[in-house]
Amino acid sequence: MSIDISGLIFSAISLMTPVLLAGIAELLVERSGVLNLGVEGAMLIGAFAAFMGAYYYGDLGLASFIAALSGMVFCALFAILTVSLALNQMVTGLAMNLLAIGITSYLYRASFGWYVSPIPPHIKETLKPIDLGALSEMPVVGKLIFGHLPHTYFAIILAIFGWWLISKTGIGLKIRAMGEDPQVADSLGINVNLTRYTLLLAEGAIAGLAGSLLSIGYYNMFLDNMTQGRGYVAIALVILARWNPMLLIAASFFFSMVDALQLRIQALGLTYIPPQLALMLPYLFTIIVLLALGRKVRGPAALARSYKRQR
Amino acid sequence: MSIERQVNLVRALLALSSIGLAFIFCTMLITLSGKNPGEALFWLFYGGFSPALIPETFVRATPLLLVSLGLSVAFSAKIWNIGAEGQLYIGGIVAATLALYISGVPSPIALPVLIVVSGIAGALWALIPAILRAIYGINEVITTLIFNYIAIYFVSYLLNGPLRDPVSLFPETTTIPDNMWLPTVVPGTRLHFGVVLAFLIMTPIMWFLLKRTALGLKLEILGSGEKTAKYAGIESVRMIIIAMLVSGFMAGMAGGVEVLGIQHKMRLEISPPTSPYGYTGIAVALLGYLNPLLIAATSFFLGGIMNGSTTMHRMVGVPVGMAGIIQALIILFILLGYFLEEKLIHRIIGGLRKVEH
Repeated sequence: MSIDISGLIFSAISLMTPVLLAGIAELLVERSGVLNLGVEGAMLIGAFAAFMGAYYYGDLGLASFIAALSGMVFCALFAILTVSLALNQMVTGLAMNLLAIGITSYLYRASFGWYVSPIPPHIKETLKPIDLGALSEMPVVGKLIFGHLPHTYFAIILAIFGWWLISKTGIGLKIRAMGEDPQVADSLGINVNLTRYTLLLAEGAIAGLAGSLLSIGYYNMFLDNMTQGRGYVAIALVILARWNPMLLIAASFFFSMVDALQLRIQALGLTYIPPQLALMLPYLFTIIVLLALGRKVRGPAALARSYKRQR
Repeated sequence: MSIERQVNLVRALLALSSIGLAFIFCTMLITLSGKNPGEALFWLFYGGFSPALIPETFVRATPLLLVSLGLSVAFSAKIWNIGAEGQLYIGGIVAATLALYISGVPSPIALPVLIVVSGIAGALWALIPAILRAIYGINEVITTLIFNYIAIYFVSYLLNGPLRDPVSLFPETTTIPDNMWLPTVVPGTRLHFGVVLAFLIMTPIMWFLLKRTALGLKLEILGSGEKTAKYAGIESVRMIIIAMLVSGFMAGMAGGVEVLGIQHKMRLEISPPTSPYGYTGIAVALLGYLNPLLIAATSFFLGGIMNGSTTMHRMVGVPVGMAGIIQALIILFILLGYFLEEKLIHRIIGGLRKVEH
């Protein structure tokens, strides 16, 4: 059995992109005190919208834009229900995810008819990595860190930006304050609802983009419920990372290493490791790490609590 | 009218109008997809609530009810167990496997044992997230969600590997012998003993547990805040674990009852993919105000909608995704109803205060 390590690291960096994108967006939202389980649905909506855009317009840039926009609309609905109307965030999130599964599978069949097999509708081209020419010729690391999709670099830059925003700026202080106690933040003149709306809309766009990677990046088609809980994994990684953006990069990378290893095991066709158990590995890894490192992790105090402004 | 009467009237009116609004939205969607909405809605209600099909609605509602009864216990303590789906799968596979092993045991002994053991299996599956929450303080929403994926992949491995029926074309266990089937209660229907267990035995037991025992009160106090619970001398670690174990037990039992009563084998589709029992149960528990009696009614209603959507799909060709959309809309509109309810109740109480002054 031979597994080449640099190939594994390369696929891990590539695979971590959607969970890191969704994770950093969710991290900022959670720091402001909102738990958005709907990030899973926003990714699914993004995957679907990107595929439809690419299929009908043949333009991947436009498709990515449509994905971000649809994710944003989806999260805007979540924001109206949970921020303005202060409905239970968890139930709303779960119901929104049910809605996303329903809408995407309904529209997919409404567009392509009932019988989509044997060859499901697919697109000819998928997203291309950035060509950095000579840089990727660099010894050892050249091949590992260059030659990824632009989304990968965007995700890492976004995570670093998120860290800077949260820990070094006045806006970050305000976000953290409303995550601990929105009422106190409000009485200090911080506009809690506006900030939460902004963060949720940004999360929708980023999660939509993360979802688009699945349908027009890694695959060239849309499948029912193709996100397979990646949004939930992103939320788990936020906990693992203790709501710290820099640790989130590490958490996403290690999670994706296991995922890459799992895919490699399946590709090698090792008969003594059944594919279902291989698929289980990344989830098992997350739980084991939570068990090992999870002691005394404390999130934002007001997380997932509905906040109604007193007039 | 007394305040209580007025409040209940407001609640009932809002619940009805939420459901009505959800249906208006669905009618619009069906029309947009070029189908006749009148015909579609007729089949939806026919498939769910016509007298001949009521037994099937009860059958569909049974796992939903068992799951949501258990969740109402956890949710009362504000312990958000989202892992019922995985706990149900574990209960189901344990029931099917054990039933094949003990098929020689007389059914009056074997069946209760199987039901209880499937419950215990579900409870054990909920134990790790329970410990992570109670001792480490890790959000149980995420751990239970991830445990769902682990459970389903694990069961899928077992059904494709060691526990697969060697002659079946599908990943499923061998059919259990018919002395291990839950007996039918009404001849000519699929109404099995599990329906009686859920509606007539477990519903009152859970109602009693939540509303009339010290444990129920302690859970509710814990739900109002861990600090309050501490002042009241309640050991929150123990209560959190109990709440998780009870809800895991009920979800596991739901899986066991579904295997012994309906499927007669364990298969991956034990929970309908468009509206999985474990997730839909969350909505049922909350829509029923965590009150076991209302939960029984809500399970019956959503069970009817689930069956009706299948009929609608078969008769009119409305894609299956519609079932998910209808349920999501009903849940969202009922949540909206909660929001309005609070406002209206404030107004009623405010109005009465003004009269008093």
